[in-house]
Amino acid sequence: MPTSWLVLIVLALAAVGYVLGRQRALSGAGGDNRKLHSLPSYYGSNVAMKVAVPALIALAAWLILQPLAVETTIRADLAEEAERSERPISLVMSDVRRVANGLDTAIERGVITRERAANMRTEFTDVRERLAEAGVALGSAVNSNVLEAAQRYRGFSAIGDIARTSFVLLLAVGGFLYALRESTPDFRARNTVETGVRYLLITAACIAILTTIGIILSLVFNTIEFFRVYPATEFFFSTTWSPSFGGGSELGILPLLWGTFYISLIALLVAVPIGLFAAVYLSEYASKKVRGVAKPAIEILAGIPTIVYGLFALLTVGPLLLSVFGDGGLGWMRAGTAVMTAGLVMGIMLIPFVSSLSDDIINAVPQSMRDGSYGLGATKSETIKQVILPAALPGIVGAILLAASRAIGETMIVVLGAGAAARISGNPFEAMTTVTAKIVSQLTGDADFQSPEALVAFALGMTLFVITLGLNVFALYIVRKYREQYE
Amino acid sequence: MSDAANPASPAASNNGARSIHTVDARTKKRNASEKRFKYYGIAAIATGVFFLVVLLGSILWNGVSAFQQTYLEVPVYLDPERLDRENPSSATTFTYNPLIAEAVWERAQELGFGDEFEDEGGMSPLISASAAAIIRDRVIANPDLIGETIDVRILAGSRVDGYLKGRVDRDSASRDRNIDVAHLELVDAMQENGSIRKVFNWDFITGTDASESRAEQAGIGVAMLGSFFMMLVVLGLSLPIGVATSIYLEEFAPKNKFTDLIEVNISNLAAVPSIVFGILGLAVFIQFMHLPQSAPLVGGLVLTLMTLPTIIISTRASLQSVPPSIRAAALGVGASKMQSVFHHVLPLALPGILTGTIIGLAQALGETAPLLLIGMVGYIATNYPDGIASGFLDPNSAMPAQIYEWAKRADPAYYERAWGGIIILLVFLFAMNAIAILLRRRFERRW
Amino acid sequence: MYDTPFRAERDVSAKDTKIAAREVQVYYGDTHAIKDVSVDILDKTVTAFIGPSGCGKSTFLRCINRMNDTIDIARIEGLIEIDGEDIYDRRVDPVQLRAKVGMVFQKPNPFPKSIYDNVAYGPKIHGLAKNKAELDEIVEKALRRGAIWDEVKDRLDAPGTGLSGGQQQRLCIARAVATEPEVLLMDEPCSALDPIATGQVEELIDELRQDYSVVIVTHSMQQAARVSQKTAFFHLGNLVEYGDTDKIFTNPQDSRTESYITGRIG
Repeated sequence: MPTSWLVLIVLALAAVGYVLGRQRALSGAGGDNRKLHSLPSYYGSNVAMKVAVPALIALAAWLILQPLAVETTIRADLAEEAERSERPISLVMSDVRRVANGLDTAIERGVITRERAANMRTEFTDVRERLAEAGVALGSAVNSNVLEAAQRYRGFSAIGDIARTSFVLLLAVGGFLYALRESTPDFRARNTVETGVRYLLITAACIAILTTIGIILSLVFNTIEFFRVYPATEFFFSTTWSPSFGGGSELGILPLLWGTFYISLIALLVAVPIGLFAAVYLSEYASKKVRGVAKPAIEILAGIPTIVYGLFALLTVGPLLLSVFGDGGLGWMRAGTAVMTAGLVMGIMLIPFVSSLSDDIINAVPQSMRDGSYGLGATKSETIKQVILPAALPGIVGAILLAASRAIGETMIVVLGAGAAARISGNPFEAMTTVTAKIVSQLTGDADFQSPEALVAFALGMTLFVITLGLNVFALYIVRKYREQYE
Repeated sequence: MSDAANPASPAASNNGARSIHTVDARTKKRNASEKRFKYYGIAAIATGVFFLVVLLGSILWNGVSAFQQTYLEVPVYLDPERLDRENPSSATTFTYNPLIAEAVWERAQELGFGDEFEDEGGMSPLISASAAAIIRDRVIANPDLIGETIDVRILAGSRVDGYLKGRVDRDSASRDRNIDVAHLELVDAMQENGSIRKVFNWDFITGTDASESRAEQAGIGVAMLGSFFMMLVVLGLSLPIGVATSIYLEEFAPKNKFTDLIEVNISNLAAVPSIVFGILGLAVFIQFMHLPQSAPLVGGLVLTLMTLPTIIISTRASLQSVPPSIRAAALGVGASKMQSVFHHVLPLALPGILTGTIIGLAQALGETAPLLLIGMVGYIATNYPDGIASGFLDPNSAMPAQIYEWAKRADPAYYERAWGGIIILLVFLFAMNAIAILLRRRFERRW
Repeated sequence: MYDTPFRAERDVSAKDTKIAAREVQVYYGDTHAIKDVSVDILDKTVTAFIGPSGCGKSTFLRCINRMNDTIDIARIEGLIEIDGEDIYDRRVDPVQLRAKVGMVFQKPNPFPKSIYDNVAYGPKIHGLAKNKAELDEIVEKALRRGAIWDEVKDRLDAPGTGLSGGQQQRLCIARAVATEPEVLLMDEPCSALDPIATGQVEELIDELRQDYSVVIVTHSMQQAARVSQKTAFFHLGNLVEYGDTDKIFTNPQDSRTESYITGRIG
């Protein structure tokens, strides 16, 4: 039974349960609302909840776990085949999966029968050809080990599907009967439902934790896998980055980190002075009218997606810089994509980020500080430079660190604007590349996920995650300390 | 007023060393530095606004032309000797191509270009490769047309389109293998004659993506659907989960380590680079759970996780803005804590929650980086989804991913599409933000 | 020394007029906050502004060094002269004016800097010291005038925000006198302090009278009676009565003043 049907049946059962639970409670009280412990709808909700929640949780868990269980079983038998064909098990496994899916499609399209799919032998049938008839293209001929594994895979999956359907339905019906029996007038339905809702709320709140765990696990496992096939010292200390999918890659992170920091530095050099001065002007000088226009105008820059900035870098800023600094002008620049291009555009993107954070922080400096300074005969700029900014300094440093973390994690601008060459150079008009850009280039395309060239992206991601997380935690700590000071 | 407060004359004048009516040199210097400082501020604002204007200007300047497309209008004779009336689908586009080229060549001869172009073969740069398929579909739908001369409107080739939009000129054409200066002369003549025209390009908005060599045919419609299905997933998941999380944290959570852990997690997730969410999506949803690559469902899941912190933060702010007296009033008439939250606090916080959700959705709509990793780039979105399930599960692109895809292609004709795509994307974003602002204005409540 | 309530000298008959105000009006947007106030404030005298909350006494005080300029919606009409010079004249730079008319605020507001830098801030921006040694001298003198030197001389590098409330307020007074003003405006300088700190500050105010014209806004009639020689009573934006402190407190002319002093309005 397809999953969608199963879900619909469970939901229908829950709806019926709601009506019946409500009725049963009411009739138990002789139709008198007031004799019930809770409102009638709570009795209904209790039944619906006990039908749907356990069944759907079980279904979700089963959907995730079944393929894992089936694969672990099959994988154990594939070691021999993997050794024979000198390929990693995961590759063989994906072949098996492809053949199994192909057989499913073929049955669906009526090219082969169900029995035929289960009994097919490579000795007698060219599986690849048969599947091609069904519109399933396979990369290579199917050998007997893979076919058998695929057939077993289908077998297990079929058993699992039946078991899943029965188990879920059993849970739903069980919950239905149990909750319906409970629906007597004395039953504390509201409390039960509210406890249930409370657990749902807690579950939702845990998704944030699960996401973090998911990020960490997916980075850690793949990074460990990477360090198994590629030495960690090489990765961290080599100054060469030259992946080749044929093998023999050099995957040193240093040139990427250099590019990342160089671009971020230029971005901050653009964004911090402009953003800070803009914030100072808006909060200390601007009339209400100017503030009402200029602040949203600058904040529009923050709402523009990064892909737009990327295109702006690639097609507008790059050619513009090239015409000034390129061969036609000063001759420092060879192509439109360069550290300068990406840094400048990223700086523009970060202006509103710096300015609105600094604006908040400057506004948090108490008015009494300003009064004290004006009262001594200080001018506005003296007050700002010598009283407000020093007072706001920790907060502003925090804001800059947050902006730096943004810059380091930014992807689209550098993918489109910075170029692809990994190099360590001091010339900002040369193309360089960053950690994020290489994560994209190593994971898009048809690379095998088990090769060091693809796995390195996870190690890069791990590095990126650690750096940005560190910056954020530190920055948030500073900002919080700063705010506490004036509260 | 008392007598004491009414003295005879103001204080005697005393223009001593510290007269305030003469501004001393030091004060002048200080005021000059004050002015300078203020100008730095104005310059910063002006620079910011200048960047905004340049950015928006270059989007409009480069992108508006994508909403116009050049078409050829010529009568095409559907030669019954080459097309089979009984079995119209037997003729492939290879049969139709010469028919169209001949029709255009005829028009060229009428306009006195017979010398430059000896046969219909020279016409192919003028005609989009998609034209034959369009006419073929029309004939298959109505085989009776065979043998007649029909007036058709077909896409012009991308170089011709570029010429009319100023992207291609005689200078660049003389260096281009795909088109000659003579072609441009012909285009000028045909434009004067009315058989080449620029019209509003609906196909760009509703159409499908095209292969690398057919820039003139590419549209963003399918990617828009992909984005739409992704946003459905994001809305359907992040709103309930975000609201539930916020309600728990604001109203029920005890002050303990576990609650702190959740809070720290949320504030850190808000600052995790988006590409890391892409890695998460790739590792968990595609490698681990084997969900289909390039599917809007997966894109939606990844964007949901990314959007959740935004929605949680704004929802908590609007729950906080509901005064405690409302909760106390509900509890005071005997409502349970849960009832006070769901019957009173939540409805009052709803406008704020919706505003935050819309802004979160707008962010998600423009996000590109994580989509690159789950395979939404490199996929050429040429098919509309068949239905709702296929909308969620079949490979598709999304607007920002489609823009990125176009920006990467070599043909500059695609850059115009990319800018055009950005205009559409920004129209959506501005609309969403405008709705959010209106909602806030309309329902803003001062307690 | 605090056993007997401290009481200032009363005789002010032979002093010059320092500040003269004529028909001053202040508007905050549509609100007419100060109505027709005319007053002569004497040199080397402590003048107290008293009156119920919102009566305009602080607003009027802030007119004297043009602190109201920092509020966008405030509008001032009428004439205020210091030493015969109109302070709202076009030629006047408020920065220069404020160097001459110092101000101490309700809540102690030391800058988040060291004690030394707090006091040195004014002299530095006004360029009063030629070198470090001179600046050190000015700071020490100001701290001595602020009656806080003995408490802080060993920790001039410590942050000013680390002092106690009373010390902070005396630091702020020292900071204000460091720029060598001629007039010192004090906006309820003791309202955030405990009684002992209040006593210290009041004593300091009386000492400052030797050199400055001090104007103090206060909520407390006892304080006005203790520290001032002249008292002005404000009510609903009007200056109701102005005269010698003793006279105002013992024999008020206006019935509103009497009601306020006897506690019937306020």
